[in-house]
Amino acid sequence: MDIFGLSRSQMRSIVAEGLKGGDWCDLYFEQTVYHDLLLRDGAVASGGFHLDYGCGVRVLSGEKTGYAYAESTDFQALMDAARAARAIAGSSGRFGVPAVSGEAPQYYPVLSPWEDASLERLAAWLVELEQAIRSREPRTLKVIAMMSWSQSDVLMYNSLDELTQDSRPLGSVSVTAIFGQQGRTEQRSTSRSLRCGAEMLGDGLLQELAAETVAGLDDSFAARRPKGGKMSVVMAAGASGILLHEAMGHAFEADFNRKGQSIFSDKMGRRVCRRGINIIDDATIPGCRGSIRYDDEGVPGQKTYMVTDGVLSSYLHDRISARFYGVEPTGNGRRESFRYNPIPRMRTTYMESGSDGSLQDLIASVRKGVYVDKFANGEVRIGEGDFTFYVNRGYLIENGRLTMPVKDINIIGNGPQALADIVGVAGDLKIDNGTWTCGKEQSVAVSCGIPSVLINNLTVGGE
Amino acid sequence: MISQEELSLARECLDIARACGASACRVTLTKSTENLIATLDGQIDKVTRCADRSMSIAIFADGRFGSFSTNKLESEALRDFIGKATDTVRMLSADEFRRLPDALRYCTAARSGLEMDLYDEAWNSLGAEDRTRMAMEACVTGKVPHAGLDPASPGYRLISEEGEFSDSEYDTYVLDSQGLECRHCETSFDYGVEVTIEDADGNKYSDYWWTAAPRLKDFDAAACGATAVMRAASQIGSTPAPGGRYNMVVGAECASRLVTPLLNALNANSIQQGNSFLVGSLGKQLFSDGLTILDEPWRKGEAGAKLFDSEGVATKEAPIIENGIVKRYFVNTYMAAKTGMQATSEDAIRPRLCACGGSAKDKEALMALCGSGILVSDFNGGNCNMTTGDFSYGICGQLFENGRIVRPVHEMLVTGNFLQLWKNLVAAGSDFRTCATKLVPSLAFSDVDFSG
Repeated sequence: MDIFGLSRSQMRSIVAEGLKGGDWCDLYFEQTVYHDLLLRDGAVASGGFHLDYGCGVRVLSGEKTGYAYAESTDFQALMDAARAARAIAGSSGRFGVPAVSGEAPQYYPVLSPWEDASLERLAAWLVELEQAIRSREPRTLKVIAMMSWSQSDVLMYNSLDELTQDSRPLGSVSVTAIFGQQGRTEQRSTSRSLRCGAEMLGDGLLQELAAETVAGLDDSFAARRPKGGKMSVVMAAGASGILLHEAMGHAFEADFNRKGQSIFSDKMGRRVCRRGINIIDDATIPGCRGSIRYDDEGVPGQKTYMVTDGVLSSYLHDRISARFYGVEPTGNGRRESFRYNPIPRMRTTYMESGSDGSLQDLIASVRKGVYVDKFANGEVRIGEGDFTFYVNRGYLIENGRLTMPVKDINIIGNGPQALADIVGVAGDLKIDNGTWTCGKEQSVAVSCGIPSVLINNLTVGGE
Repeated sequence: MISQEELSLARECLDIARACGASACRVTLTKSTENLIATLDGQIDKVTRCADRSMSIAIFADGRFGSFSTNKLESEALRDFIGKATDTVRMLSADEFRRLPDALRYCTAARSGLEMDLYDEAWNSLGAEDRTRMAMEACVTGKVPHAGLDPASPGYRLISEEGEFSDSEYDTYVLDSQGLECRHCETSFDYGVEVTIEDADGNKYSDYWWTAAPRLKDFDAAACGATAVMRAASQIGSTPAPGGRYNMVVGAECASRLVTPLLNALNANSIQQGNSFLVGSLGKQLFSDGLTILDEPWRKGEAGAKLFDSEGVATKEAPIIENGIVKRYFVNTYMAAKTGMQATSEDAIRPRLCACGGSAKDKEALMALCGSGILVSDFNGGNCNMTTGDFSYGICGQLFENGRIVRPVHEMLVTGNFLQLWKNLVAAGSDFRTCATKLVPSLAFSDVDFSG
């Protein structure tokens, strides 16, 4: 890529400098330009753009890492960074890193480049979005909507002379609306984020977001806190994939297992849930926020089965953990920017459809429990495996029927136990295209999905 | 530290913006250097050197406003960047409320950046060997006494220790087209550690601890590793307690989790949008008489102290909530113009929650005061509905009776509403951690709903 202005021979020299202190050296060049527009109080009167440019130099010596970066791609600055990164030198272990070859397909073609879209058109789309919400729901008090789009151009070079590059678009729209009814207020949020161009901004998306923002508002005003305790939980298809991200995905990231920290670190090849369940982490879904052609170590994006027919079949690896375990990297080495070294991270994590009927069948099978379909955030304690996720919206299930609406409850469980307690998987897999961001040490864009599932014995917060 | 050449470059940005047609402009130049030494099981695992510079530019043009940033700081690149930024601003909608602050509100006391006594020259003489030594000295692998795997004793095995020592220098320079010039410099020395232990039955427990200080002489990480191990060990054998209403004592190490939503709800940005459970609360007594939170940004040498906010407005020592009465919203220049409220500062700078409810200083004394209940030692996920104040958080901690710990609990949830929770404040200690920027001591509440 010309924007970085270095020849391959110069990159080779920088890597050679780093290798004086290690057995592996790689370079990660990045230019990211991020734009945003904010609609507030009926007008798009705030916006801007932000440029981030630089290169990270990583030196590995055995499993140990030296890392430095420069906010320029000046040759001498990067030679200095290589010298700083090789400060890790002196450790003992030396074992090779396998070459990774192959051209990855394009998972995010851009039909309508963001830079060709006029700001006036983009701003008008946000204004129309507010109008669509207000026309659907007269109780609308306020609407805040943000549109952002970024382009990350990355180039990776390593001591195997592998040179890889990628251009990653990411467009996002998020909307938060406040509604009022008899002196009470309710807040609703929804979002979309896709790796594509401005073609995502059609009328279809606008109407979808407006409809989602106001859907079930009467129930939100009527919602109450349930009586808390352990109960069966039916999780709707789509955003409920947060369950997989928090309860299982992090625990399957190989760095936690390599260090013996994960509750799953001794369970490879063992049954972790019932037969027929497949759990995947996938970089290859076209246009998906979690997709990457190459990971941030230059390894092609892949579809990785973490659980196959109920058995733990793979961790998520970067190059360090892959060589530790003696397996091929799975393309999960990711980083927030050139300021960070890559670590194993999820991409789009989901469960394949099952054969236990429909969502309605799952609900009908529950005598007492909750149904949940809209979420905020989650978290996990890796050692214990305790995970939580916050539920914005749901319903009580009583004798197989949805009854009282509920909201603002946290649900807590234990990863291995929750996996074992999945007793129903419907055939309605849905990938959620919200603005999911994972915050393990660094922030990276991810996504998640799941078919409707029934889990026994999760603890639901309540009064 | 920001060089004279970089200071000149920041000033030049104002001139460039004006030449491009901006009616007003604010430039914030930040520069930082950080060194990190990470350890794994008592060995050096990762060495990182970070050096960052960034120019943030707020541009006001033709009654419009935009915000931009770049780390390409060559003069020619900046000229091009600011030109494009100004063109972008002109394409946005006009906003009559966007303006720079009243210059009378500017901070004029932060000229050198060293006024708050947060910059330690010792940082400049710290070498790679010093850093490595401090990181290694803090490790506990091989040093922690433990009982092995003898089932007759509460045995455990340390299976992982990840530590990270870091030292950093931050320098911020803010100037604008009305003549504002403010600077803030600080150093920080930090250590954080996360451990995982395994009990005799193969169950794993993880926990963490950290410390930080602006000055090297005040930095002491010796106890961090052992504290993290003891916190993890205290969870061995934990199970949920039965759901119900309990007294809740929250340790100082995690109590700020309950204060942050209050401060966020007092921000005028949220209030103007109706996205706050504290709309219309100014001057009203909404909380327990005992709840007093002061903003104390002028404490020299104390972490978090600062003389100006991001607009360059002078900070102020003032009550935020006093005896349960809301005394202050956080109102920036834009929100003041838009809402007619009096401008204050953008946010709480260094809030301190004051002791109340008797002489109990710490969580042990608060447990004695409460008699029975649940001690929360960490939160696990959860969130708060900002329009209603309803919250639900995962927790782990200890069940206590007669003021004494009975057994560890985990996989539990605490659920309620912040307005009610803070009405139920029984007492606050005085054991806040001085390494934090929100000074919140251990807290005791009555009648809190737990699910388990």
